[in-house]
Amino acid sequence: MTPELSIEGVSKTYPGGVRALDGVTLRIPAGMFGLLGPNGAGKSTLMRTIATLQEPDSGRITFGDIDVLKQKDAVRRALGYLPQEFGVYPKVSALEMLDHFAVLKGIVDARRRKETVEAILQRTNLWDVRKRRLGGFSGGMRQRFGIAQALLGNPTLIIVDEPTAGLDPAERLRFNNLLSEIGENVVVILSTHIVEDVSDLCSRMAIIAGGRVLQSGDPARTIDALRGRVWKKIIARDQLAAVQAEHTVISTRLVGGRTSIHVVAPGRPDASFEEVPPGLEDVYFSTLHDAGPQDAGGRAA
Amino acid sequence: MLARIAWFEIRYQIRQPLFWIAFVLYFFFTFMAITTDAVQIGGSIGSVNRNAPYVIMQILLVMTVLGTFLTTAFVSTSVHRDYETRADAIFFSLPLRKSDYLFGRFLGALVVALLVYMGVVAGVIVGSRMPWLEAERVGPFLATPYVYGTLAFVIPNLLIFGALFFAIATLTRSLMYTYSGVVVLFMGWGISRLLLQDLDDRWYAALIDPFGGAAFRLVSRYWTVAEKNTGLSPFTGELLASRLAWLALGGLALGLTWARFAFSAEGAGRERRATATDDVPAPARPAAPATAIQATQAAAAPATQVFGTATSWRQFLRLVRMEATGAVRGVPFIIMLMFGLLNFVISIGLLERIYGTPVHPVTYLIIEAIDGTFGLFAFLILVFYAGDMIWRDRNLRLSEMVDALPVPTWVFWASKLAALVVLLVVMLGATMVVGIGVQASRGFVHPDILLYLKGLFLVQGIPYLFLAALCVFLQVVLNQKFTGWIAATVIYLASELSPLVRLEHHLYRFGSAPESPYSDMNQYGHFVQPLLWFYLYWGCVSVILVGVAHLLWIRGTEPGRAMRLRIARGRLTAPATAFMALALGGALATGGYVFYNTNILNHYLPTKTRLDRMAEFEKKYRQYENLEHPRITDVQADVDIRPAERSVDVRGHYTLRNKTDKPIPVLHLYLSPEMTVRRLEIPGARLEMEDKDYGYRIYRFDQPMAPGATLLVSFDLTRSYHGFVNNGAPTDLVYNGTFFTNLDYFPHIGYSKQLELDDPNERRRRGLPPVQRLPKLDDATARMSNYLTSEADWVHYDTTVSTSSDQIALAPGYLQREWTENGRRYFHYSMDAPILDYFAYLSARWVVKRDSWNGVAIEVYYHPGHTYNVDRMIDATKKSLDYFTKNFGPYQYRQVRILEFPRYASFAESFPNTIPFSESIGFIARLDDKPDSIDYVFYVTAHEVAHQWWSHQVMGGNVQGCTLLSETMAQYSALMVMEKEYGRDTMRRFLRYELDRYLSGRGTERIEELPLMLVENQQYIHYRKGSLAMYALRDYVGEEPLNRALAAYVAAVKFQEPPYTYTREFLDYVKQAVPADRQSILDDLFRNITLYDNRAKVASWTKRDDGKYVVSLQVTAAKFRADGQGKETAETLDDWIDIGVFGDQELKGSSQGKLLSLEKHHIDHADETFTVVVGEEPRKAGIDPLNKLIDRNPENNVTNVTAGAAPATTTVVKTSG
Repeated sequence: MTPELSIEGVSKTYPGGVRALDGVTLRIPAGMFGLLGPNGAGKSTLMRTIATLQEPDSGRITFGDIDVLKQKDAVRRALGYLPQEFGVYPKVSALEMLDHFAVLKGIVDARRRKETVEAILQRTNLWDVRKRRLGGFSGGMRQRFGIAQALLGNPTLIIVDEPTAGLDPAERLRFNNLLSEIGENVVVILSTHIVEDVSDLCSRMAIIAGGRVLQSGDPARTIDALRGRVWKKIIARDQLAAVQAEHTVISTRLVGGRTSIHVVAPGRPDASFEEVPPGLEDVYFSTLHDAGPQDAGGRAA
Repeated sequence: MLARIAWFEIRYQIRQPLFWIAFVLYFFFTFMAITTDAVQIGGSIGSVNRNAPYVIMQILLVMTVLGTFLTTAFVSTSVHRDYETRADAIFFSLPLRKSDYLFGRFLGALVVALLVYMGVVAGVIVGSRMPWLEAERVGPFLATPYVYGTLAFVIPNLLIFGALFFAIATLTRSLMYTYSGVVVLFMGWGISRLLLQDLDDRWYAALIDPFGGAAFRLVSRYWTVAEKNTGLSPFTGELLASRLAWLALGGLALGLTWARFAFSAEGAGRERRATATDDVPAPARPAAPATAIQATQAAAAPATQVFGTATSWRQFLRLVRMEATGAVRGVPFIIMLMFGLLNFVISIGLLERIYGTPVHPVTYLIIEAIDGTFGLFAFLILVFYAGDMIWRDRNLRLSEMVDALPVPTWVFWASKLAALVVLLVVMLGATMVVGIGVQASRGFVHPDILLYLKGLFLVQGIPYLFLAALCVFLQVVLNQKFTGWIAATVIYLASELSPLVRLEHHLYRFGSAPESPYSDMNQYGHFVQPLLWFYLYWGCVSVILVGVAHLLWIRGTEPGRAMRLRIARGRLTAPATAFMALALGGALATGGYVFYNTNILNHYLPTKTRLDRMAEFEKKYRQYENLEHPRITDVQADVDIRPAERSVDVRGHYTLRNKTDKPIPVLHLYLSPEMTVRRLEIPGARLEMEDKDYGYRIYRFDQPMAPGATLLVSFDLTRSYHGFVNNGAPTDLVYNGTFFTNLDYFPHIGYSKQLELDDPNERRRRGLPPVQRLPKLDDATARMSNYLTSEADWVHYDTTVSTSSDQIALAPGYLQREWTENGRRYFHYSMDAPILDYFAYLSARWVVKRDSWNGVAIEVYYHPGHTYNVDRMIDATKKSLDYFTKNFGPYQYRQVRILEFPRYASFAESFPNTIPFSESIGFIARLDDKPDSIDYVFYVTAHEVAHQWWSHQVMGGNVQGCTLLSETMAQYSALMVMEKEYGRDTMRRFLRYELDRYLSGRGTERIEELPLMLVENQQYIHYRKGSLAMYALRDYVGEEPLNRALAAYVAAVKFQEPPYTYTREFLDYVKQAVPADRQSILDDLFRNITLYDNRAKVASWTKRDDGKYVVSLQVTAAKFRADGQGKETAETLDDWIDIGVFGDQELKGSSQGKLLSLEKHHIDHADETFTVVVGEEPRKAGIDPLNKLIDRNPENNVTNVTAGAAPATTTVVKTSG
């Protein structure tokens, strides 16, 4: 039975006055959990806090019966963490580096370690390049190396922070496949600002912005909640301001030089709008829109 | 465009804090140097004006040396900045010419650096106007020295180093390489310092020193105080050559930069290129099919994690290995290690040379050389890597990943600390291997491995552990790499410099401990105990520092200050608290014990406070200086030395006699406050005053002591050392090699002038009148005492000395009886004739070598293993006895003993028939490999044996010139014996050293230079000039006539009772040997300070029909008289000077050719031409070619003789041949 991660009222204000987390409360059961939010929403702060790298000002986090904020060593033993940005020793090969990490993960038995490292290299598709210097790795290879080290030692709490940012579509696909293989029985938190990653991979999710959880739950259910309320219209660019003044525009996107907008309304605003089946993206943007003057600008894949 | 880029650069850099920090620092540092003695730039300036041109030039020069790092910073950032801020792509796409960009930046950076030096100029100008300066030490303002210094040193050095570092920075784009370049230049500087010590290598020294410092030292080496106060160095010779050579190198570097610099973003940067090519996407592979995934996942399952202490240790070891191998393989480490080793190896080549003669590369010298040359590199490596290791994961953005791993926090810092220790061990191991290699390459195949381990890894190595701990602490606490580096450097500099402001205690000078010199005789001896306690103390402090680093260690995202403290509190678990408490307790306990030893068991006196005490003593008791006292006529003493306890008992009695014609009412006694008085009996007198602090006592006789009356004073004293001291542990009473004299261990009658402060500046500062070094020559009262002591004339001496059973104890005199009692050895020595009241006691485990000469027993007592030169000493003793008895008169004793003592001091000293001789000057001299090396063992031995005549027979009265009668005459005597043994060519080279040391000695004179006849115990005069003057006199007069006169003098004055002889009397005898027409040489040599400037201008030869060669030589001559400050006035020439011609080299490697002709000519014109006929083809010719006269440019006395027509004659033609 895999424990559940529970976050209660976690707040964090940086010395500069930025309120990164504002009473975040979440329950994260086993399975893939998507943490969705714009840049600067507090995702990374939350992730780092769970990964024992940062102290919140207040709040409580437990992982099963581990008090994450106090029993850091216990958390670290269960943890696999892939930070948003990370570097490597450029002159060391993937094999050596993973072996090194494996020791630090507590896999001290040499034979076991070798098996484990080799298996991970196979699994992350790095076997062929295992002897290459890490400095020569491409972005995608590097991300796979990152997840490889995170998976060492069969962690039960896996945190991956924006893993697909900057990857080309093929690498992103490959990476997501890798993530999806991770067992159902562990807690996996995937933080991202790419909606598709969540809809592709996650059984549960939360939307976070301005340090607060705006919404959480099953992606399918949140989409259902919006069904019949999302309307689309193609307009000229100079009309946007006028439409925004009149309707709740949640997203805009350029299509062939013209602007396609999504509007949320209980009923069809007028005949020029057509109903569209909502996606997670609409959930995301409407949630952000509801939350207030956030940068909800039409960012989409 | 170039100007605009330069201007942009100037404006940019001037706004940076670095510029202002540097400017203020430079100003402040200079200001302090000018206004105080606490800060010195380029060494103490003695009595020279505080703003003398010499001082200004020196400060500007030294500041450019210190400023190298600054220049580097300005210049390298001017290019580096663009790469670091990734602005290069923008700049390189602008329509700029490469040369504009490069040289504009360069010029701008240079101007900024130059502006910093204006801080130095301002510091001198403002500083020399401060009201608290002594008016007599401030000269008028002169603009020229500033201009000169700026043009000769500041600007060339900026250009040179700027260009070199600019080239390295631009071409490698690596700060590490740039700073490595700085280190290389400093090595050049260091090596030139060593080469300067050797006369023949000075030209190389001038060229190798990239800063021009060695060249400046060379051109100004013989400056007197007067010249330093007024003169500018001529911009010629070594100085010009050095500046031009280095400027050319700088120009080359700039040219290379321009040629090789690729003006594009894909420039020559190595790292850049590497990533650019490697950054290709991985070969696209299709996603693995689902089945394969299942399979691999299954295989991945069984990873067993084990946690606990054992795992932590495994992780620790793994991280240590990772950190250490990474660093050891890294370029910076290898470069620094190589430089350090190179610097060390070069220094060994110049190890402890005396008169250019080397010593055997014994292990302790190698270890000391490592300390002196490698230390800086070890420091740099540790400081650099501490920062590098602690910051690498964060700089590579790896820390988030690593910090979230299940590794205890202590493992992180401990592994880095341990990796630093590994680096240290690797470095020291490398120096040890190289050291052994160097020893082997010089045929010294008995390296003392154990001593290497002790001296290198423990004594030198342990303090580096403290440094490593400090660096880790600073990096963690300050949490900024550069700040951490700078803080470590500042802390070390501060503990290095704090003695200047009376803060000398090692308890607060980080990682420091008392000096612990090694001696083969005494090994580390009594220095081990303080070292141990100080190391324990600093070890505890280091543990505290590391503990704090643990608490504040940043794991994960950097928290704010408050959060850091919260985390630290969280880490302060019970074991951590206990650990810290233990360390704190340890530090307090060991620190307390150290304090108890240094400040309670012993007096802690900073050097300056010690000077204060000396001044205080003088102020209190100098009033009694001229009081008449009875004199000692008999000394009997029983001395018990206990080497293992470092204690000694002195029981004995003096017989005093009132030699005056008046009754004496009081008796003043001085006893070193270190001595404990158990009993002190003066019959018929009562103690009127006792000053325990200074050891001064006044007794009053119940009945004044009548003229001719005698008195028996008996005493029972003891001295023992308790615990240890902070600095300057006494080295007179040691486990093996005890050596002390009656000066510190016996009671003294009357006020002792020897305890006075002699530095005129230190005296002035403490309100003391100017020192009177010696009474005037014609002070007849003063001559009623000899210059050694006013307490006695000649005394009867008898002593019994005992020591531990394994040692021999010695004192002057003949052994009467030797016995063992209570497990101690006793020796009874007695003198059969009166001696001077100065005697020594020694005790050590010696081997004795015995020989004899005409019934005189010769014995050398030496440390087992120090056999290298024992036979040479015996040989020198025999030859000296032979020459001196033949020429000066009979030897008064039946034995000569030479006794080796530890190298804590390096001198030899002559007591009656007993000569203590330091381990470091002769016992390990290496004289076998070069036939023409100067045998200073022979020289020192002959000098000391000569003192048996010139001191122990002829003793001067306590007036000016007295040391001429001992030291100068001992020099002359030694020179004569040496010349017989080694020939005139060797003497010539020896005298070149004497000339050099005399001339440079003049520049350090603190009061005034005096003519030889009036010498006031000035070593550069009575030894160095004495050698030259007596050798020249011998040359004019002839050896036999001179020695006849000297023998007559010895016969007349030996063992004389007051009044004692003086130099007037001496010259009266010498005068008789000088031909009537050449009496003026006595004026030149003894009565005045005379200098010559003789030069050979042109010389050519033609062959005569009879096969002989006619040499025509054009010379100029000049003669000066100098006053006490070195101010010269021209003197009319009326001199007999050598004109000489040399042929082919006689010996391969000999510096001078065969002497074909040498004859004295009367010279009375500045320019003269001589014609000399010689039988062989001439090579060189010159005036005073053997440098018998005192000439500041002895090198130009000789010139090459070219074939061809004789040059046109000038003023006078004289022919000889």
